[in-house]
Amino acid sequence: MAEKLQPLKVLYCSVCSLPAEYCEFGPDFEKCKPWLLKNAPGLYPDLVSEAEKAAEQLQGVNISGEKGDTSKRQGSAANFQPDEEVKKLPGGKVKKKEKPEIIIEKVIRNKRKCVTMIKGLDLFGIKLSEASKKFGKKFASGASVVKGPTEKEQIDVQGDLMLDIVDFITETWENVPESAIFFIEDGRKVPAVG
Amino acid sequence: MFRKFTQEEISSQNQVKASVQRKIRQSIAEEYPDLEANLEDLIPKKVPLIVAKCQNHINLVVVNNVPLFFNIRDGPYMPTLRLLHQYPSIMKKFQVDRGAIKFVLAGANIMCPGLTSPGGSLDDEVLAEAPVAIMAEGKEHALAIGFTKMPAKDIRSINKGIGVDNMHYLNDGLWKTVHLD
Ligand SMILES: [Zn+2]
Repeated sequence: MAEKLQPLKVLYCSVCSLPAEYCEFGPDFEKCKPWLLKNAPGLYPDLVSEAEKAAEQLQGVNISGEKGDTSKRQGSAANFQPDEEVKKLPGGKVKKKEKPEIIIEKVIRNKRKCVTMIKGLDLFGIKLSEASKKFGKKFASGASVVKGPTEKEQIDVQGDLMLDIVDFITETWENVPESAIFFIEDGRKVPAVG
Repeated sequence: MFRKFTQEEISSQNQVKASVQRKIRQSIAEEYPDLEANLEDLIPKKVPLIVAKCQNHINLVVVNNVPLFFNIRDGPYMPTLRLLHQYPSIMKKFQVDRGAIKFVLAGANIMCPGLTSPGGSLDDEVLAEAPVAIMAEGKEHALAIGFTKMPAKDIRSINKGIGVDNMHYLNDGLWKTVHLD
């Protein structure tokens, strides 16, 4: 029997009941907008900039320079755009001291079923939900974002993709160097290339 | 199919015998092998399983008042969208382009060109008369459950007319029926 699947939690709009990403096709997008701004600004970046512009005009103050405000907004965003976050850090500095790494581990479930787990993409500013979609499409297989044992989110792709996946990652996201990708083999971390 | 569905359309709700419950679980496990390990949680043996019969030979599989699966006559069981959203990997996937989203959400069946255009995609392993998750360009979650009218390969080569019947979609009557009273 296959391993138990972890149920994914989908963000449903409390106004129209659809997954938040479908509000724009829902019965009344206008009514959803305030809720979306608060709960899913990452999904509708245009909405956020619209609201910011409106707020600026209203107050006649330029708020974009205020650091505290920006971070507060990002903190509340369930789906903030990581790309921007990375760009904002000068000289490629990342908050953590350690170098960001991507760890790929293959887990065999009941002898023939196999799942490839990918951790750390988020450290490169990659949105996991989008990455998961890309993996699913590329490898024509089930891919999902799951909370790993350490409570950090990771992507699980069904199937043994150890060999193809490094090329796919470095081709898809040019900011990820091959040298940052590692495999876990027999419990040891080894560089994926070299 | 569930466009205007409401609970009033349910003609009977019956708790099924243990043997029938076992059979339903087994056919769901065969259709969705990746979900097998979760079935004891979703359809616990000790909790009564209700089959609600609705118009047009639709049956709903209901546990703790929540509709989890549906089928037509003795056809394959299909998950409700709310269940599929939790376990997106259990179904094969087709994707419609962005332009098709509003039609699918209005209940229209899925036309081949919406699947074969650059924003669409097909899983070539899918045959005719198979349940399939309908995804959408630029979106992460399924917007409909479909039942193929022809194999994916024919959808690609024929590329006109209806390729997939729209069985259940976001905001239809079944979506709105989160709990049965
Ligand atoms: Zn909404």
